[in-house]
Amino acid sequence: MNQKDANHSGEVGRTLVEFLEVAITMIVYVKGLYPSAAFERRRYMNVVVQRASHPELRDYIHSAASGLLPFIEKGLVERVAVIFYSKDNVPVERFIFKLTINLSSAASVEEGHLEFALRSFLVKLSVSKSLVKPLPHHCRWEVTAYLRSLPEVGSSKESELWIPTDTKQWQKPAVITPVKSLDSEPLCLQLYLEHPSLSEPQPCQAQS
Amino acid sequence: MKRSFGSNSSGNSGSNKKTKKKIPSNQKTLGAAWGAASLPSSRSSFRSSPFSDFGRVLKLENSSESVDLYNDLKMVLHFYMEVKNRKLQNQYDTEATTSSYGVSGSEKLIFQGVSIFVDGFTIPSHQELRGYMMKYGGRFENYFSRRSVTHIICSNLPDSKVKNLRAFSRGLPVVKPTWIVDSISANRLLGWVPYQLDQLNDTQPKLSAFFAPRSHLTPHVASPVTSCQPETGYSEAEEGSSIRAEEGSSIRAEDSEESRDHVDDEIDGVCVENTTPEMTEQTRADDLISSEVNAEILSNYDNEEKEVSSELQSSTNLPSASDNKSFHVNGKNNGKSFATPAGSSSRRHSTLEDPNFVENYFKNSRLHFIGTWRNRYRKRFHGSSNGLKCADSGQNTAENAKKSTIIHIDLDSFFVSVVIRNRLELHDKPVAVCHSDNPKGTAEISSANYPARAYGVKAGMFVRHAKDLCPRLVIVPYNFEAYEEVADQFYDILHRHCRKVQAVSCDEAFLDVSDLINVEPEFLASTIRKEIIETTGCSASAGIGGTMLMARLATRVAKPAGQFHIAADKVEEFLDQLPVGTLPGVGSVLKEKLEKENIQTCGQLRLISKDSLQKDFGVKTGEMLWSYSRGLDLRSVTAVQESKSIGAEVNWGVRFRDQKDVCIPVQHFLQCLCKEVHLRLQGCEVIGRTFTLKIKKRKKDAEEPAKYMGCGDCDNMSRSITVPAATDDIEVLQRISKKLFGSFCLDVKEVRGVGLQVTKLESADPSNKGSRTLTSWLSSASASVQTEKDDNVFAAEVRENSDSKRYDTGGVSRLRESYSAEPSVQSGDTNSSLPPMCHLDMEVLENLPPELLSELDGTYGGKLFELIEKRRGKRKINSNSSHVSLDGTASIKDSKSFSVKTHGLRTSGEKEHEEAHVPHPSIARTSSERTIEMADLMPSSLSQVDVSVLQELPEELRADVLGAFPTHRRQQQSSSDAAPMETCKNQDKEPIDMKEAEKEIGFSYSSLWLGNPPQWVENFKVSGDSTLEKLSEIYYKVATSRPMLSTVLQHAISEVGSFRDANGNGLDKSIYDVCELLKQYMKLKVEGDIEEIYLCFRLLKRLAARSQLFHQVYEILSPFIQALVSEHYGGSLSIP
Repeated sequence: MNQKDANHSGEVGRTLVEFLEVAITMIVYVKGLYPSAAFERRRYMNVVVQRASHPELRDYIHSAASGLLPFIEKGLVERVAVIFYSKDNVPVERFIFKLTINLSSAASVEEGHLEFALRSFLVKLSVSKSLVKPLPHHCRWEVTAYLRSLPEVGSSKESELWIPTDTKQWQKPAVITPVKSLDSEPLCLQLYLEHPSLSEPQPCQAQS
Repeated sequence: MKRSFGSNSSGNSGSNKKTKKKIPSNQKTLGAAWGAASLPSSRSSFRSSPFSDFGRVLKLENSSESVDLYNDLKMVLHFYMEVKNRKLQNQYDTEATTSSYGVSGSEKLIFQGVSIFVDGFTIPSHQELRGYMMKYGGRFENYFSRRSVTHIICSNLPDSKVKNLRAFSRGLPVVKPTWIVDSISANRLLGWVPYQLDQLNDTQPKLSAFFAPRSHLTPHVASPVTSCQPETGYSEAEEGSSIRAEEGSSIRAEDSEESRDHVDDEIDGVCVENTTPEMTEQTRADDLISSEVNAEILSNYDNEEKEVSSELQSSTNLPSASDNKSFHVNGKNNGKSFATPAGSSSRRHSTLEDPNFVENYFKNSRLHFIGTWRNRYRKRFHGSSNGLKCADSGQNTAENAKKSTIIHIDLDSFFVSVVIRNRLELHDKPVAVCHSDNPKGTAEISSANYPARAYGVKAGMFVRHAKDLCPRLVIVPYNFEAYEEVADQFYDILHRHCRKVQAVSCDEAFLDVSDLINVEPEFLASTIRKEIIETTGCSASAGIGGTMLMARLATRVAKPAGQFHIAADKVEEFLDQLPVGTLPGVGSVLKEKLEKENIQTCGQLRLISKDSLQKDFGVKTGEMLWSYSRGLDLRSVTAVQESKSIGAEVNWGVRFRDQKDVCIPVQHFLQCLCKEVHLRLQGCEVIGRTFTLKIKKRKKDAEEPAKYMGCGDCDNMSRSITVPAATDDIEVLQRISKKLFGSFCLDVKEVRGVGLQVTKLESADPSNKGSRTLTSWLSSASASVQTEKDDNVFAAEVRENSDSKRYDTGGVSRLRESYSAEPSVQSGDTNSSLPPMCHLDMEVLENLPPELLSELDGTYGGKLFELIEKRRGKRKINSNSSHVSLDGTASIKDSKSFSVKTHGLRTSGEKEHEEAHVPHPSIARTSSERTIEMADLMPSSLSQVDVSVLQELPEELRADVLGAFPTHRRQQQSSSDAAPMETCKNQDKEPIDMKEAEKEIGFSYSSLWLGNPPQWVENFKVSGDSTLEKLSEIYYKVATSRPMLSTVLQHAISEVGSFRDANGNGLDKSIYDVCELLKQYMKLKVEGDIEEIYLCFRLLKRLAARSQLFHQVYEILSPFIQALVSEHYGGSLSIP
């Protein structure tokens, strides 16, 4: 891949990261985790979106998303999950971005086209309140990325913010509610919700 | 924030090294599950191992929230094992360093990269092995793990583990400890293959070992000259090495003996190769070995085995060949015994290993001999049987009235007596013919002489049992040349004495002597018998009777070496006491039935009326029983009938291994089978239209059959295809058989027998071929079946060629898009040269799935990508960013029409090969070599070519075709200007026929979603079912611009009221069609557009509430969709 192409695929990556930041904020907003006063209306890709006004929250989301950039550029990221946990650290709801980037064909894509496609995700997210489950009290949330392989340590300062983790998963296959799909070159992105299946064993209290 | 991160990472940093180590493999497992998305594996990875993501997941904690690390019990255990393993490893490493420094630094690290796990009791012990591994640079694992262990060492396995080997070994080689010892003594890493655990191998001698001395008439006596020379060389060399070994370390005597056996094995291998025609010109032993190795590579895709064989290939040093022992010890020329099972081997006598299996199989099959003998007979005695035919037609009626006399002549224990006819010493000894005489005695006796029969030895008995009955039994192998010779002599004699001869088999015939008034039949029979024994050295028995039945029954009394006459007045008397079971046509089942009704003899049978017999046993059987019990037989002696079917079947030794590239051995096998059938067709000078593939599939609970490599208890399945024009073309046969085989959708491991049969035979004689001209071929309604078939078969081929992953996820359209890439895809398979790069269709290339593309790129040395990049760049400049996929489709359509035309042309041209084999369009276009290759199929003169068709060809193709003609004939072209109407018409019909053709054989690989509008729209439009027609209509109305199923379904909901469900069969068919449509769509979309799937799923549910058809479709598809989604996303869709 020549220099120009590298730049171009970098652009796709940057767009995606930017989009993720907005989308994650939207998810947190839609979930109603924080009072709506903690967000402010903004316009992104010509859609009305929310932005966290609390600096720490904003910084967390921003660092999470931008920290992913090096991994995305390497094509390592398979899924990005926004996970909401109950008090017992049991996930109650997961928003999954499943993404496949074709880096080799990234060069040929027009910026506008991709933005147009991503916009529909934001639109859909803003109206998907009905899909989500009410949150339990004292919940917390985090962003988890599933990589195809573990990267070498310390590739950049930002990515150092990401740490390896073991994520508790459900014993049973989750129930999936698709939200939005984008199937195009170079980016294939699926956004769907995962909820524990009804037969999921109730979390054992002793574990906490 | 920092703090929380810090605490987290410190928790992990301790196991940093470890984590690093295990990550790749861990990731691999999961990655594979996602990528390949094989149903069970991906499911299990989600279900059973909730922590499988461990170590691979990154998490970003929100510092504003509480951070707590939970320590799950499982995790603790996991860490414990990790730490323990690491500790053991460290211990091992330190020990290894000290020992290698301390004892001898000069030790070669022969086990570098080998990591063993010792299972159970071994000699040398566990600890010793550990010491060896340490000393020679290998690793020793205390706990089994799929990722770190490379070989499992054990000397004995419990039966449960043997049965469930895969679960136990996880695909790793299970090797005897001698491997390590031998490797050390050889001072290099030996191939593990010969050291595979005995239990996992069959210890019978192989068919190949038996095949080996085939070139000598009596392998038993003659010494295999070829093997003598190298043998000594081998043994000496090996002896040298084993002496070395003994010096080096404590190798046991048996070991060296064993390795000597290996050498012998290798020599047999040489013999085997010598018998195969391709190899004959290669006489140097090492050449043969390397070619053998090549075969090994072909049939064996296991990486490690490959390693071994390539290692072998590179080394021309002869003793090393014993590493890769793949042959069994054959009976040596001193005649001590037939075979001693060698310790381990791969089964070369099954389809697993032997690339020439089919050929050898038929070369050595008695049934094959009998089957093809008839054909030989027909040719040889054609004239005389013709005379018989004429006579018959005139006299048939008259004959029935007249008293007829028929002689039945049968050679006594033909297969034995022919073999021993020149070996007087065996004449009064019990002798049996069998393909092998190994000490295990699991081979079946095919024929035994009368002294042996006196002991109770019978055909079909295992040698083992026969030897129990008669310990002195001599087993001799077949001698097919002698059989042929004797059979010819036998019939020569018969034809000399009688004009009306009906050959039943190579050793059995009926003579109608009614016309020969002045000769006593008894005298004639004895004359014939005398002549036979004088000429052939074999005795014959004769039975004389009024009908064929009586003659045959009389022979039974006459045997051996006698004759018996049942006069007309003695018939009843004779039959009275005859057990029903002896009647021809009464098998064990019928006999049992009869005995249940207390009928033991023909006399008792005669008491029952014809009507009640027919009621109890069916019209035909009843009729037969009734007349046979009275000695009546309406058949008359006729010449050999034209065979109604020709085919070949292999149901011995058929084993295929389940691998992802499994198609290669299977395809090869099918090809060989087709070749055999092709030869038989040619031999009989017939061509056929209906092709039936029969498969024997292991019954679910059937165990490994008692007969070694036999087929055991099997389910029989068969499918057939009828083509419009009869053919014996080998390529057509191969394509059809491949397609049929694919249509079974079988697990190849279960296949125990394959047969290909050709029926609807026509004479291949060019004189009566007038009816099958181009016009008849084109006007035939089903003409395009053939075209479509090629298409389909190709799709199947592509599917087989690429790995399973692509099949699961790739979507059908991609298959079709890769359609025109055939030459290049196939090249891997057929070893033909790649088409030059400039000939590749770029559009097709671009639409190839990336895996396939990169594979192709590899074969072109990486230049392909450059080319594509370049092209992409160009495209951008042209701002031609329109739908690539549409382009692809268009090109396919294009090429399809080529194929039709080409087909037409070729058919017209091929006077010799009636059935045109359709050259693949892209072959014709891209590889000029192919065209030249086909030149011999071309008509010699252009006058035989339908010029109108030629003119319709695209310029490029026409040039190619014309290029294939001799130059001086070219000017004849362009004389005619008739419009090729029929070709066009034919083309229009195609889509419909295609669909029908698919249905005919009950599967469809083709993409219903290919094209614009997609194929299903057309299919539904003409389906005749109102609902389907409606769907097609809706598509045209709303979805043409955006071909999404959800759009169609959405509109269907609003119009569902007007749907009228068909009933009965029509409904079933429609349900099937809709299901197929949806399935294909789901598969297409599941990867990239789960939203659409969800939408369709919900719409379908809504439709289900309103329409019976959709209700059933929903019921059928709902589990399918859920499975599909869970395959790709690890969960099921939530149902609203």
